[in-house]
Amino acid sequence: MTGAAALAIDAGQAAPAKAVLRVEGLKAYYRTRHFGVNREVRAVDGVTFEVRANEIYGLAGESSAGKSTLIKTIAAAMRPPLEVVGGSVGFSFLTGGTSIHQATSAQLLAIRWRNLSYIMQGSMSVLNPVRRVRRSFEDFAARHMGGRGAAFEAGVVGHLARVRLDASVLDAYPHELSGGMRQRVAIALATICRPDFVIADEPTTALDVVVQKDVLGMIRDIQREMGSSLLLVTHDLGVHAYMTDRLAIMYGGMLVEEARTADLFLAPQHPYTRHLIASLPRIGDDAPRVGLAGSPPNLAAPPPGCRFHPRCPLAGDRCRRETPAMTVHAPDHRVACFAVGGGGGTA
Amino acid sequence: MLTTLRDLLRYNAGFRIGAILVGLVATMAGLSFVSPYSPIDTFVVAPDMPPSPAHPFGTTSRGQDVFWHLTFAIRNTLAFGIIVALLSRVLSLMIGLVAGYKGGWVDRVLMSINDTFIVIPLFPILVLFYFVMRDRMSWTALALIMALLGWAYDARLIRSLAMSLKTREFTHTAVFSGMSTREIVVREHLPYVMPIVFSTTMNNMNWSIGLEVTLSVLGFTDINSPTIGGMIYWANQHTAMVAGVWWWIAFPVILIIMLFIGLFLLAVSMNEHIDPRSRLQRMGAGGGA
Repeated sequence: MTGAAALAIDAGQAAPAKAVLRVEGLKAYYRTRHFGVNREVRAVDGVTFEVRANEIYGLAGESSAGKSTLIKTIAAAMRPPLEVVGGSVGFSFLTGGTSIHQATSAQLLAIRWRNLSYIMQGSMSVLNPVRRVRRSFEDFAARHMGGRGAAFEAGVVGHLARVRLDASVLDAYPHELSGGMRQRVAIALATICRPDFVIADEPTTALDVVVQKDVLGMIRDIQREMGSSLLLVTHDLGVHAYMTDRLAIMYGGMLVEEARTADLFLAPQHPYTRHLIASLPRIGDDAPRVGLAGSPPNLAAPPPGCRFHPRCPLAGDRCRRETPAMTVHAPDHRVACFAVGGGGGTA
Repeated sequence: MLTTLRDLLRYNAGFRIGAILVGLVATMAGLSFVSPYSPIDTFVVAPDMPPSPAHPFGTTSRGQDVFWHLTFAIRNTLAFGIIVALLSRVLSLMIGLVAGYKGGWVDRVLMSINDTFIVIPLFPILVLFYFVMRDRMSWTALALIMALLGWAYDARLIRSLAMSLKTREFTHTAVFSGMSTREIVVREHLPYVMPIVFSTTMNNMNWSIGLEVTLSVLGFTDINSPTIGGMIYWANQHTAMVAGVWWWIAFPVILIIMLFIGLFLLAVSMNEHIDPRSRLQRMGAGGGA
């Protein structure tokens, strides 16, 4: 059943009803022009995936892999010089348009926060340092909840209780709260309208592991309770193992592998994923970890063919010429690599 | 706000002295409302009398009591400074916040206007205005002109703050949540720049009062409404220093110096208080974070 859904993406057919987000062939480049020199950084270059209802979808990759660019583009929160060059981003709750990038600003206003919410990177600083927490709720959320008033106040207090915060934080300034509390306020702020889809960009990076586990547990509880979908982006594979249902690995602006999280950790296919998983420390295993030589590609001048080939131990001639496409390797498991039998016929 | 004032009064000697000086000057201005003489009447008392119990600051060659005349003069001068500071604050806040937040061509247009105002030599322009307008150059007209010329430096300062605020996460979140530019600028950014605006207000008052005094001393303003500069102008007209009527010049000068030093101390101590580094130290010491 789930394999059929993955096949449907490849065949470019209509979305199955339960996909909340469908990203197809998305390309987003940073384009700058300085003194006549055009520079184009292909941060997201042909990404296709879908996120289903009531699932936590993980997106992993090292720094500069294009993760943040991808989610900014998905949320339609691009700022110049970032441009969408091709592809589409469809949400099930977005009526009348195929892609969020064709939506009018009125449409965007209607779905944002209400249906689509975003826990931003460095989310501890989403609170204005010179305004009380209550004002942040009023500024950001009240317009989507029918204005402020007793009902709004009660809703906010009730929702704060979900993240185990007392109503008294509403009268505090952000600097009076601890990092974990601020993080929980940010999560409460992003989920108060019970959105269908939440994007979380490195939501717990600044926290220590104990608080991190706590906060992640809370995010998961809220997600399960509301039945919304969550796109979780972080470079921390431990967080993915703990949180996500399915996981995609990004490298050089493209997806290289996508599978159910357990499958990806147990049977990684793509050479990059294999090295990534093999590099994780394991309790009781003190063998030295071998790193990969080289560094991630410069996305302003990516290597031809597969973007991983300069560092890949399995690279062949074809990898230098053609870009492998994501193909189905097993049910719910897609991989973009010629060496492991994927990659498609032509690029 | 009140606790801030209390802390400043308790722990900052500069603020304390500044508050006392400005307080004295303000009291002096307040006394004008109970003055026994009208400010425009001349020869109501015996002229050229040195300071005495009946006339604590002496009398002028025009037959005015220096003390009571000074209360009117300082009231007008102070009001002038406040009006110019408030008007130019409104301008610099609007232009600075919008230019910094919007960026792009809006920023470029506003900042080229801004830079033009920065490089314009103010004093010759003001003298020119006086020669063009002559009798129509009233006190309000001068305040308006000064406000229109005096916003540029602070608009640049506020713009740089707004540019940094624009890249903060809470601004991104505000945009994402659907707040309009006006709402973001007024509700999210304005409270952040207000402390700095308070501090620059003092400096701006000093600047505008200084220029007004300069212009009045030289007679380039409406000389019939009493101001500190106007008093010195009339004293010079009557060669007060040569005639030995030193009190006619000395008291206005002492009063305006008190005002300058007081405002300057207030601005400096407030600046110290709102400086982010010392602020963080205090927060850490307060045990809040």
